[in-house]
Amino acid sequence: MSRSALASGSSIRFSPRPFAAGRAPAPVRILAGLVLPSALLLLWHNASTRGWAPPQILPAPAVAWSSFLDLLASGDLRTHVQASLIRVLISFALGSAAGLALGLAMGLSRRLDDLFGAVFHGINQVPTLGWLPVLIVVVGINDRLTHILIAQAVFVSVAINTQRGIRQVPERLVEVARAYRLSRTQSLRKVVLPAAVPQIFTGIRFGLANGWASLVVVELLVGSEGLGYLMSWGRQAFQLDLVLVAIVAVGIIGWILDAGLARLEGTFTAWRTGEAAA
Amino acid sequence: MPWAGGFSAIDRKPLKPEVDIMTTKGILEIRNLGKAFPANGRKGSLQALDGINLSIRPGEFVSIVGGSGCGKSTLLRLISGLDDEFQGEISIGGAPVRGTSLDRGIVFQDLRLLPWLTAEANIALALENSGLSKADKRQAVAEHLKLVGLEKFAQAYPHQLSGGMSQRVAIARGLVNRPGLLLLDEPFGALDALTRSRLQAELERIWREEGITMILVTHDVEEAVFLGDRVIVMEPGPGRIRRELRIPLPRPRRRSDPRFLEIKEDILREFTGPETAEAESLEPAGRPLAEARLDWAA
Ligand SMILES: Nc1ncnc2c1ncn2[C@@H]1O[C@H](COP(=O)(O)OP(=O)(O)O)[C@@H](O)[C@H]1O
Ligand SMILES: [Mg+2]
Repeated sequence: MSRSALASGSSIRFSPRPFAAGRAPAPVRILAGLVLPSALLLLWHNASTRGWAPPQILPAPAVAWSSFLDLLASGDLRTHVQASLIRVLISFALGSAAGLALGLAMGLSRRLDDLFGAVFHGINQVPTLGWLPVLIVVVGINDRLTHILIAQAVFVSVAINTQRGIRQVPERLVEVARAYRLSRTQSLRKVVLPAAVPQIFTGIRFGLANGWASLVVVELLVGSEGLGYLMSWGRQAFQLDLVLVAIVAVGIIGWILDAGLARLEGTFTAWRTGEAAA
Repeated sequence: MPWAGGFSAIDRKPLKPEVDIMTTKGILEIRNLGKAFPANGRKGSLQALDGINLSIRPGEFVSIVGGSGCGKSTLLRLISGLDDEFQGEISIGGAPVRGTSLDRGIVFQDLRLLPWLTAEANIALALENSGLSKADKRQAVAEHLKLVGLEKFAQAYPHQLSGGMSQRVAIARGLVNRPGLLLLDEPFGALDALTRSRLQAELERIWREEGITMILVTHDVEEAVFLGDRVIVMEPGPGRIRRELRIPLPRPRRRSDPRFLEIKEDILREFTGPETAEAESLEPAGRPLAEARLDWAA
């Protein structure tokens, strides 16, 4: 650092490190991202016009598109999307809040970890939908079933990753907290949580993705609304165009939910790119 | 110079009310200190320190030199109270050292700035429990940023700072709450020669004005002689004190003073004499011998 460099400006701006230096400009990237979907669309188009698959099984893109417009106009799509979203958001809120609480407790207390840790890692090995038969017996086939199942998926993922994130905080930084005699709350706030944020978000994002995917499956079986229900109904009515619309909607909404969480994570880790949070 | 404002500009405020002042006003006594680490893979353990005896009076400046792996960092950790498992005794004013204290500051060799806190917030961390008002904290932090010449970098995160700048933030964090005893583990290692000699002078001034007891670990014999009332030479395998000498030169010292050069040469001979080979062969396996020699190249 030279003196003249300091003197020349009244304040120095900290531009983000050029992490993205090797990346192409945004328009090029967006175009590149469209290559594969376009190719698939073309394949789909050819498959239906050349009769590779019967129209009852694979409707033409144009048919699917007009079904989509119909669903949009009638408000049906909105109803189904809303139903699915409300279910997943309620379950997600409950599951992640409880998961954070237990994960924190297990991360901070060896004793709690000894008590619950093994059970949790065991539960984590069972796919979310593996609980379905048991839950059907216990709570019946209703909305509670959906909520419990999804909340459980989010809960386990968040709890395990939060615990792991806290355990993985580097000892050398925990020692800084000890050297300055930070209280438990202070070191949690200044040292432990910031260090654990990436791992916690891994748990939250995985939990939500898993929850969303499981929700759709549960809706295939349960209820009279939701994207999964739309799929199931379309299949029974031999309207595969509806199924396709629902599949695309599930994909897009799942992607948006994850992008939202990624953005939220970004606000917690703004220091990585140098945008001061304060 | 950015930090030419110096330290005298900083108001002294009653800091750290909860700290027992008596403990730091007394003599730091280290008696028969030993520290063993469980050795990895091999049976037995690695003796990092053995039979260390040292007493340091309040306000003294003690430099410790020695090659890599002779236990210098371990010794500072034990004094800081970060590690309570050792043999022997460490006491200050007769009271055994147990756990950390705000009155015993440490500047870590690996700095340990928190990556998610700005330079300013990293320094403020040391004041978290100082009992100062918000305004006083802010002022103390600003003054110490100025002291190390980083006032323009208050809002920078550690990854945006050079190695030397990070080191200066770490030094400011060590100083900001005015500990009675400050442990410095190679604090100037990553600095260019010019910055280093400026900060050495600044550190000496703070030491003189504040009466802080300082223990400085360094690889640089010249630095050790320039700053120390006493220089302790350590050797590895197990880490122990090889030699201790008083530096009788008046301050501020001049590096070109023939007596200064003589003392420096005298200490350097400890590392280039016929015994060197033996000392180095005692280093723990896995540490390249060249490393220890290179340490002295500068
Ligand atoms: N936490 C630890 N676990 C095991 N061995 C350690 C640990 N810390 C230091 N040592 C060993 O103790 C010896 C002294 O280390 P250290 O105090 O860092 O030396 P110095 O600071 O003089 O280079 C080295 O052999 C090192 O490998
Ligand atoms: Mg060291």
